[in-house]
Amino acid sequence: MDVRAQMSMVFHLDKCIGCHTCSIACKNIWTDRKGTEYMWWNNVETKPGTGYPTAWEDQEKYHGGWVVEDGNLHLRSTSKTQTVFNIFHNPHQPSMDDYYEPWTYDYQHLFNAPEGPDQPTAVPLSMVTGDLIQIKAGPNWDDDMGGSPVYAENDPNLAKLNPEQRAQMFAVQRLMFFYLPRICNHCLNPACVASCPSGALHKRGEDGIVLVDQKRCRGWRACIAACPYKKMYYNWQTGKSEKCILCYPRLETGQAPACFHSCVGRIRYLGVVLYDAERIREVAGLPQDELIEAQRSLILDPHDPAVMAAARHNGVHDAVVESAQKSPTYRFVKDWKIALPLHAEYRTLPMLFYVPPMAPVMAQKTGSTVDNISDDLFHDIDEARAPIEYMASMFGAGNSGKVRYALRKQKAVRWYRRALTVGDVDMATAERMLREADCSPAEADAIYRLTSLCTFEDRFVIPPMHREQAVEMLEDPLAHKQGVGFGFMEGPRRGL
Amino acid sequence: MTFKLLLHRIGPAFYIPLIFIAGPIVAHAQEAVDFFRGNCTSCHTIGGGRLTGPDLKDVTQKKDRAWLVQFLQSPQAMIDKGDPYALKLKEEARDVVMPNINGMTPALAELLLTMIEAESKLPKSQFAGLQISDRPFTQHDIELGKALFMGDKRLANGGPPCVTCHTFNGAGGFGGGHLGPDLSRAYERLQGRKAMGAWLYAPATPTMSLTFSKKALKAEEILPLLALFEDTARSGAEDNRTGLAGFFAMGFLVAILLLALFAVIWKARFRAVRDPLVQMSARKVLGGRS
Ligand code: SF4
Ligand code: SF4
Repeated sequence: MDVRAQMSMVFHLDKCIGCHTCSIACKNIWTDRKGTEYMWWNNVETKPGTGYPTAWEDQEKYHGGWVVEDGNLHLRSTSKTQTVFNIFHNPHQPSMDDYYEPWTYDYQHLFNAPEGPDQPTAVPLSMVTGDLIQIKAGPNWDDDMGGSPVYAENDPNLAKLNPEQRAQMFAVQRLMFFYLPRICNHCLNPACVASCPSGALHKRGEDGIVLVDQKRCRGWRACIAACPYKKMYYNWQTGKSEKCILCYPRLETGQAPACFHSCVGRIRYLGVVLYDAERIREVAGLPQDELIEAQRSLILDPHDPAVMAAARHNGVHDAVVESAQKSPTYRFVKDWKIALPLHAEYRTLPMLFYVPPMAPVMAQKTGSTVDNISDDLFHDIDEARAPIEYMASMFGAGNSGKVRYALRKQKAVRWYRRALTVGDVDMATAERMLREADCSPAEADAIYRLTSLCTFEDRFVIPPMHREQAVEMLEDPLAHKQGVGFGFMEGPRRGL
Repeated sequence: MTFKLLLHRIGPAFYIPLIFIAGPIVAHAQEAVDFFRGNCTSCHTIGGGRLTGPDLKDVTQKKDRAWLVQFLQSPQAMIDKGDPYALKLKEEARDVVMPNINGMTPALAELLLTMIEAESKLPKSQFAGLQISDRPFTQHDIELGKALFMGDKRLANGGPPCVTCHTFNGAGGFGGGHLGPDLSRAYERLQGRKAMGAWLYAPATPTMSLTFSKKALKAEEILPLLALFEDTARSGAEDNRTGLAGFFAMGFLVAILLLALFAVIWKARFRAVRDPLVQMSARKVLGGRS
């Protein structure tokens, strides 16, 4: 057992209101520099939809993630040999058009325009070339299913549905959509790290945050093709790759990452989990329908004395283990099993988990009235407007059982709470539903509290980062013992 | 490796300085003969008639030795001085001025003149020039000449075929080499059969003489080559430009073919995702309407 700590996240999709506050918070802090305008380390997309960059889930096109071939894990985008041949040209890169060409408006013109018969306008200007552009797409062009015949209908997750189910999803009275906020998953088996020819990408030892060393990065862009979530971005100004850093400077000072902190729907949870690094290779190579369960089994019980001892042996600070014991992520993923990884079939073992959203039931139009097929507007999982196969394609690696389990439990908790507080449904039915959903009343209560009444402290359980200890993994502090005081980490440079 | 072999390998690097070193110390009649053969025969004969330069038979009787020795030191200087005889020679040679000869000293000039005097007395001098038959060229000669030029038929003494360094109008394909001059009009430039024949027998330029001094062309090779050059010149051919044009045309064609090949090999490469989606949907919508 090789116990390590990982900062792990849960997004509760039922709570996301699609306000994009998270994206803006992130952009304002990290990606408003030249060369990064087009990057959205945090983005929120509408499902069904193709997201950002367009159809990023279509790995036939983008070649991201891992595949198993004769029992071995291989990157889909490259290999050691191929890296040599493709070093100056890494194929399968999304083009600027697949992201979008960032733009601003010529606001000055509003002030400077000569007097005329019409109001002056501010024309869009490309933030790359500075020229006047025709806006063709944006980072969230299909928001709320805008342009659905182009975008929503080409959602790669629809591939598993039969034509009838597809048609149903887009019939006017049956339409449904939900939001999918995405950041880097800080994967346990990150394809981006594996693909980098310069060894510039690394996973921080103490918290598993995946980072790009800006000094080592040579801009080969292998990571951009390799990351199946397309969460690696190339800065065209510096010629280096960049990605979500999980706001580690904020974490180190005890604050939640900006997108977590600002989230209006309070959908985001953050906490440490302990995992067994020894089994990563084995788990990532398992058959697809075992992936979700196996990834879950990688996460270890922080109350187990053996795990705690192994953690201490590995240099994980006691405070971190303690924090892991209070981790909301652990409860969602391990205790309640209602949070699932997004596209586990990419085999990067993502450490961001999603609580799948409940969808309203289907409706039918009779004459001029619209009737719901079931009276249980939100609770009839199999009559839901989003077919379970669609959800399973995203959150179950094709295994609908896992998604059904998570949805049933949520449904049972709602009935239970309704029986308890509103009283318009029968408590006996609610309790039967709980039993069927593998959920005790106490658990239902805990889920309810962490979902609905959660405070800042409940949502973000951030351990003391102990940088002073973590740095020992890379450098020996005693080597600098007599060198402290005045001086420079890096010598001063003047002039050109 | 024996010294000789080594010398052979790095030969030219030695020959050239040797020419300079050897020049001044020629002091023997035999060496005057060798010097004459190496430096003078491309333009002069002794009793063989005029080539580019005059026939030197009895030259010592036409002009006094002192003048001749002085002329040999630097023909151009004499012309510049306005010496009337030198000017007359220049006119006779159709304005071709005899070049300064490397390693020519007064002593060597004396030796050469003595040797010419002796040779002039013989009924047939060894420098009467290459006797190339006067018979008219046949079509067969021209074809043979072309084969020799292009290297289809090897030169008997092992010299490299002309096409290595030269081209001529009719060399076909990519043309010949461009190191040496285009030979399409060489027949006119070198003033016909006799002079060019002499030139081919003992070429005077440094590159040619280095290459061919040990591997001289044979009379039966020179004749077909002359036939070829005469034929090319007579057909009024311009310099060979087709070679260059063909080269570029071929390069262009090959580039296009390679691009086409790449397009096939990497057909499935990533191009774009969003734009094709939009196009596809647009087609669907518009197609449904019309
Ligand atoms: S989501 Fe992509 S960028 Fe982030 S760790 Fe995983 S593979 Fe790397
Ligand atoms: S801020 Fe929160 S609620 Fe708003 S879009 Fe982002 S994740 Fe959703």
